[in-house]
Amino acid sequence: MTNYGFLIDQSKCIGCHACSTACKSENQVPLGVYRTWVKYVETGAYPDVRRRFQVTRCNHCANPPCVRICPVTAMYQRDDGIVEFDPSVCIGCKSCMQACPYDSIYLDPESNTAAKCHFCAHRLDVGLEPACVVVCPEHAILAGDLDDPASELSRKLATAQVTVRKPEQGTAPKLFYINGNDWSLHPSAAQTHDSFLWADKVTEQNVAAYALPVLDDGGRVGLGALPSPYRDPAAVSRPAGTTKVSKSGTPIRTPKEQGRPMNGPIQIGGRVAEHMVQTAYNAQHKIQWHWELPSYLVTKSIAGGIYMLLSLGAGLGMFAFDSLTFLAAGFTAMVFMLITTILLIKDLSQPKRFLNILLRPQWKSWVARGAYIMVTFTAVAGLWWLLEGAAYLGWLPAEFIISIRPFAAWIVFPFALGVVIYTAFLLGQAEGRDMWQSNLLPFQLFAQSMMVASGVFLALSAFVTFPADLHTLLIGLFPASIAINLLLTLAPKFTSFASDVAMLAHREMTHGRFRNHYWWGGITLGHVIPLVLFFAFSAFALPAAVACAVVGLFFYEYAFVMAPQHIPNS
Amino acid sequence: MTQPKTNAPKTSAGTAVPQFTASDRKPIKLTEVVHPDGRISQYPPPDVWDDWVEWDGKEWPKRVARRYTLVPTVCFNCEAACGLLAYVDKDTYEIRKLEGNPVHPGSRGRNCAKGPATHNQVYDPERILYPLKRVGKRGEGKWERITWEQALSEIAEKMRASREKRRDGIVYHVGRPGEDGYTNRVVQAWGVDGHNSHTNICSSSARAGYNFWLGQDRPSPDFANARTILLISSHLETGHYFNPHAQRIIEAKTDGAKLITFDPRLSNTASMSDVWLPTWPGSENTILLAIANHLIQTNKYDKEFVRKWTNWKEFLQHVQQSTSAEWDSIRPLISNSPILFETFDAVLKQLYSEYTFERAAEESQVPIERIQEAAKYIANCDGKLAAHVWRSASVGNLGGWQVARCIFFLNVLTGSVGTEGGTSLTNWNKFVPKPFKSPPAFNAWNELHYPNEWPLAHYEMSFLLPHMLEEGRGDIDVYFTRVYNPMWTNPDGFMWLKALKDESKIKCYVALTPTWNETAWFADYVLPTGHGPERHDLMSQETHSGQWIAFRQPVRRVAMERAGIKVDFTYQANPGEVWEENEFWIQLSARFDPDGSLGIRQYFESPYRPKEIITVDEYYQWIFENSVPGLPEAAAKEGLAPLAYMRKYGVFEVKHENYAPYDKPLHATPEAGLASDEQDRVRDSAGAVVGLKVDDQFKVGFDTPSRKLEFFSDTLSNWGWPEKENVIPWVLKSHVDPDNIDLEKGEMILLPNFRLPTLIHTRSANAKWLYEISHKNPIWMNPDDAKRIGVDTGDLARVDTEIGYFIDSVWVTEGIKPGVIAISHHLGRWRLQEDSGVNRGASNLVDLSDDGKGGFLLRVVHGAKAWKSSDPDTSRIWWSEVGVTQNLTHAVHPDPVSGVHCWLQKATSVRKANADEKAGDVFVDTNKSMEKYREWLKLARPADQVSPDGNRRPFWLTRPLKPTKEAYKLKK
Repeated sequence: MTNYGFLIDQSKCIGCHACSTACKSENQVPLGVYRTWVKYVETGAYPDVRRRFQVTRCNHCANPPCVRICPVTAMYQRDDGIVEFDPSVCIGCKSCMQACPYDSIYLDPESNTAAKCHFCAHRLDVGLEPACVVVCPEHAILAGDLDDPASELSRKLATAQVTVRKPEQGTAPKLFYINGNDWSLHPSAAQTHDSFLWADKVTEQNVAAYALPVLDDGGRVGLGALPSPYRDPAAVSRPAGTTKVSKSGTPIRTPKEQGRPMNGPIQIGGRVAEHMVQTAYNAQHKIQWHWELPSYLVTKSIAGGIYMLLSLGAGLGMFAFDSLTFLAAGFTAMVFMLITTILLIKDLSQPKRFLNILLRPQWKSWVARGAYIMVTFTAVAGLWWLLEGAAYLGWLPAEFIISIRPFAAWIVFPFALGVVIYTAFLLGQAEGRDMWQSNLLPFQLFAQSMMVASGVFLALSAFVTFPADLHTLLIGLFPASIAINLLLTLAPKFTSFASDVAMLAHREMTHGRFRNHYWWGGITLGHVIPLVLFFAFSAFALPAAVACAVVGLFFYEYAFVMAPQHIPNS
Repeated sequence: MTQPKTNAPKTSAGTAVPQFTASDRKPIKLTEVVHPDGRISQYPPPDVWDDWVEWDGKEWPKRVARRYTLVPTVCFNCEAACGLLAYVDKDTYEIRKLEGNPVHPGSRGRNCAKGPATHNQVYDPERILYPLKRVGKRGEGKWERITWEQALSEIAEKMRASREKRRDGIVYHVGRPGEDGYTNRVVQAWGVDGHNSHTNICSSSARAGYNFWLGQDRPSPDFANARTILLISSHLETGHYFNPHAQRIIEAKTDGAKLITFDPRLSNTASMSDVWLPTWPGSENTILLAIANHLIQTNKYDKEFVRKWTNWKEFLQHVQQSTSAEWDSIRPLISNSPILFETFDAVLKQLYSEYTFERAAEESQVPIERIQEAAKYIANCDGKLAAHVWRSASVGNLGGWQVARCIFFLNVLTGSVGTEGGTSLTNWNKFVPKPFKSPPAFNAWNELHYPNEWPLAHYEMSFLLPHMLEEGRGDIDVYFTRVYNPMWTNPDGFMWLKALKDESKIKCYVALTPTWNETAWFADYVLPTGHGPERHDLMSQETHSGQWIAFRQPVRRVAMERAGIKVDFTYQANPGEVWEENEFWIQLSARFDPDGSLGIRQYFESPYRPKEIITVDEYYQWIFENSVPGLPEAAAKEGLAPLAYMRKYGVFEVKHENYAPYDKPLHATPEAGLASDEQDRVRDSAGAVVGLKVDDQFKVGFDTPSRKLEFFSDTLSNWGWPEKENVIPWVLKSHVDPDNIDLEKGEMILLPNFRLPTLIHTRSANAKWLYEISHKNPIWMNPDDAKRIGVDTGDLARVDTEIGYFIDSVWVTEGIKPGVIAISHHLGRWRLQEDSGVNRGASNLVDLSDDGKGGFLLRVVHGAKAWKSSDPDTSRIWWSEVGVTQNLTHAVHPDPVSGVHCWLQKATSVRKANADEKAGDVFVDTNKSMEKYREWLKLARPADQVSPDGNRRPFWLTRPLKPTKEAYKLKK
């Protein structure tokens, strides 16, 4: 079967950018976005210096995560292996951009939909090679059928030494590099300044505003901050604090934290033999998800959490129930669900197409699954609320509502839980953001939900008198869930990360540009202050404690959502 | 002229987004038609170019078929003349895209980034669409739209008035020629010494060096077949002829050839090299001669080749007759010996023995191992050394013409001259066909172009024009510039500003340009002429062994004519009222001499219709029918007329390979009439030198006066430069020699003239895809220097030159030699009005002030900005920095021999900028400009003092347009 792939020979590539402009011309790509570009990395120390070129683009992965996450099959893999997209159905949720571990997908400013290299499928269809292949002065770019033993690409691939970008992502890239180089293949290996060799650097991503997590030991400097003086002899001296000595008398290095090597992910650059490893040119990528996503994480946590609590009460009989409490809490949940929906639709770059997600769901996508979970939750939870309301008004007999409550509870509970934790699986599909792919995340989302839902529920007691056991439950649950969530939030610091990208993102969150959101907002405002207010000032300060927890959670989610997006994937 | 009516549909170029219509026909599948084995094609085959349907890439995966006619043309973005194939919509005649021309023997269907970006230039919303005439003062920026008829008649009137008085009052000053011979013929027909070029800020130094060796001024290396490639250039990213050459260099490298590059800065080419020699500027020759010495001392040079083809006998005779002490070391070897090659071998060994690897390593500050490695590869090249210098060190240094002499010395020593894999010469691989009627030489001499001081200048002293005007050496009646922006491109631009503002010196200035540029802003007439796909031209370049001609076509016009639409003039098919220059020159010349009394009109009359003014079709029809060997036959084979064949393919291969033509036997003249003289020159019965006697055989030889490779230059010796360092390949002391740069005092060398793979001097400003990739020119600085002055990447630094200073940001990199800073050419465009002038996405809005005492200050108000236009992309301009105009601060450095501007500058101080110094600031004191000019003027050896024969310059040396011998005579 036909299986298209690229083979790019970096030993021939002269960094001329012809492929870049030929692609813009063939596919009418607007300014500001790139389907293919040539990354430049400068390495070495004068006079032993090289500039590495890397033609960078979609890998047309055999197992493409962008396709798996796309809720509407706008991104799809053709039978011949080309990963293609259909802008006419894309809703602009930008999930594919989070799922791509290679920064290959962008939001097209003209169509407001996802776009990327599509292997010039429209040319292949008539028997023409992709535009970049045709233009290349050096025939450094080969496109062809990997399954055809006679193709130039297959024959070369069989004998050449090749490498791919980030094979550990399990995406099986079908873009192979001859003479590929880790310093350019690996996004975090090279230092990036606020400027490029001959271009402005304007996007937030990949700017050295954060210090890469290289230990600053005894004058050694981090990748992100190579200051003057460059050739300070101290920069290559032994790290301070090396005190232990082996039996032979040799000083022993102190073991480092996981993912924080002494000299960056590759043992070179600014430190080893004073070599430079700096990105001289790269495409610039925009941050795609902003405040809407962290907001929605908070609002749906409240909505889903309240209904989980209501379901537990009704289903397990953990607390007595009265209709007014239910109606007040349920109404609050529905309002937050409405806000959630508005936020989600607003964040689409094609909001008018939001129904596509229901009309043409792609069932492997947790975006689509989540949409169905939320819609079903809203339907069944809303129906329950209406029945309760009807009973309260006397339109339905009281016995009836009491008899159906356990059934309603057990129908609604899984959807309420789903609303709260499905995002963990959605973020798990975002394979470009390793930090989000945490096994703890479902539990953390659950704990967060309990924290803010119990708090908001409690706050309703100012208007409605609760049954006593409900009040007791909530007054215990609120501080307990804050405490548990605090532990879950801090846990990654004590566990390990699956990749350096996850580690870098976490570092960016806790020590980089989001450290204030994280420590002052998420931890202090969201956890410490509510606990202090709750225990020190008790019921008097409860509304303030709840408000702090909710706002603090937003700050945490903001840091959590934004930080990984700042870590370059190319 | 009444403008003929045409039913040609207007293009939206410059005014709206082009529209393409859907086709009712589905595409054919080339996989089924052409390659049954499933291979993928690169291009539609030429037999379907007339009517080609393919899917729209932007609409995909919706299958929207578009129907195009594919018209071949030639890229105009550098001088390589690569083929392009325009996809022209069959209904709207809009150009959808430009790809390569697969049948072009030079570019072979491939292009660099600038080829596809030609589309940006055509649909540039800022382009000039109508003729403009100045109202108000020069440079005030006020214009009125006029008709072409008005422009033509007013300018022709001024030309006629000038021509009736003098033969040096009209000047055609060309930047990028982009064509072979058309306009030169026009100027020659006018009977004036009016050709001026940009060559003296570009290639003339290397050209001079090659010319003294070879009688031809450009090398044509056969990179594809070389074993060793030696570049003092950056041919893998820029230069003549980047794309065709880069293809062949990498092909050779893939086949195992070794690539050696000299460059103080890590160019992309240096980075791709097996051996990078980061030389101290000016030390290149020491390395080249050390390698030569290695070949000589170890007897690894091709003695047989040197014996047969160089003028070693003349050299030995010269030394014998000379009394100079310079030759004392070798005189004993010669005085008692007969003139034998063995003597010369011994002389060579003695002469060059001082050039050791150790000395080369010390002077160049390059590790000796690298020099030895380079020498090893060159010694093993087996007659396949492809070597090239074009600008770089040759145009950088005082005496840089010797760089070409020294690099070619290695070609000579290895016998790699004209061989397969060696280095050939331009005329062997470039073919320029003759037009229907050639005007005679004119009897005039323009002292502003070839002044007395530089009798050996290779091409005109163009960059000194404002300095000479300032000195009162003359004036100009009608000054044309074509694809030329001297105020920005040349050194010392504020001197140009002064000259252009003075209407008594340049009385009428006509700028022919498709887009605004800094100089055109000071014009009296701005006449929009076409971009690459909007004009006819014929071009050939020496890209490899073989000869081809390429035909640039106005693609919309050709597409319309294919569809049966009558187009009389190209402007009818072009955007707005954009003319093509061919037609402009015809119409202007016809008005210049309406009744034929000046003898000009006859050269613009049709060879097919007596007394009628020629059309462009007729001009090229005649050439293709009469002047291109093999073309009429090739066309006939396809049942086409020669012109139709060229319209279809856009290119013709005249010769497939052309190795060592100098070694061919002489057979054109009857055997009986040939005789050789005592110098082995073969003369015909009329006494003209036609060849060379080599070992009793009559051969074609070279184009030098001796017909040999001139190791020893008799011309230099006779014309005032008799010293050893001038007459044979030798080292000349550069103006940036370490003796002249005090690093301790903080002085550095500024390397200001390297180019980027994506840009094309001033014309890239209107190509958004190119500017998106590269739009600023920071100062490359070694970490050692950055530490010394306390700056980091992104910080601003102030660079002081001999005449002023500028402020630019810093890029700290290990890829540059300590002590040298480098800043790319191309960038730092400016405009003086917010909404008019150079493209807003590519230029700084600046405030230009003049203190009235010769001081000029340029300050940036703001950088690039997004703006709303017919192109939605202009609102997406995301960059703001567009670089610094460093050239303004460069003092002129005319080389006393070649006349070239020696680009390397002495940075008298480089320091961190103060808070009040802003990026892009430029200050120049033009009093100092004149001081520096006079200082360099003193180095020259004027013709009236050195001429051996009473002439202004040696007659055999190249001039773009040669006057009569009479005009060469020095005035008493």
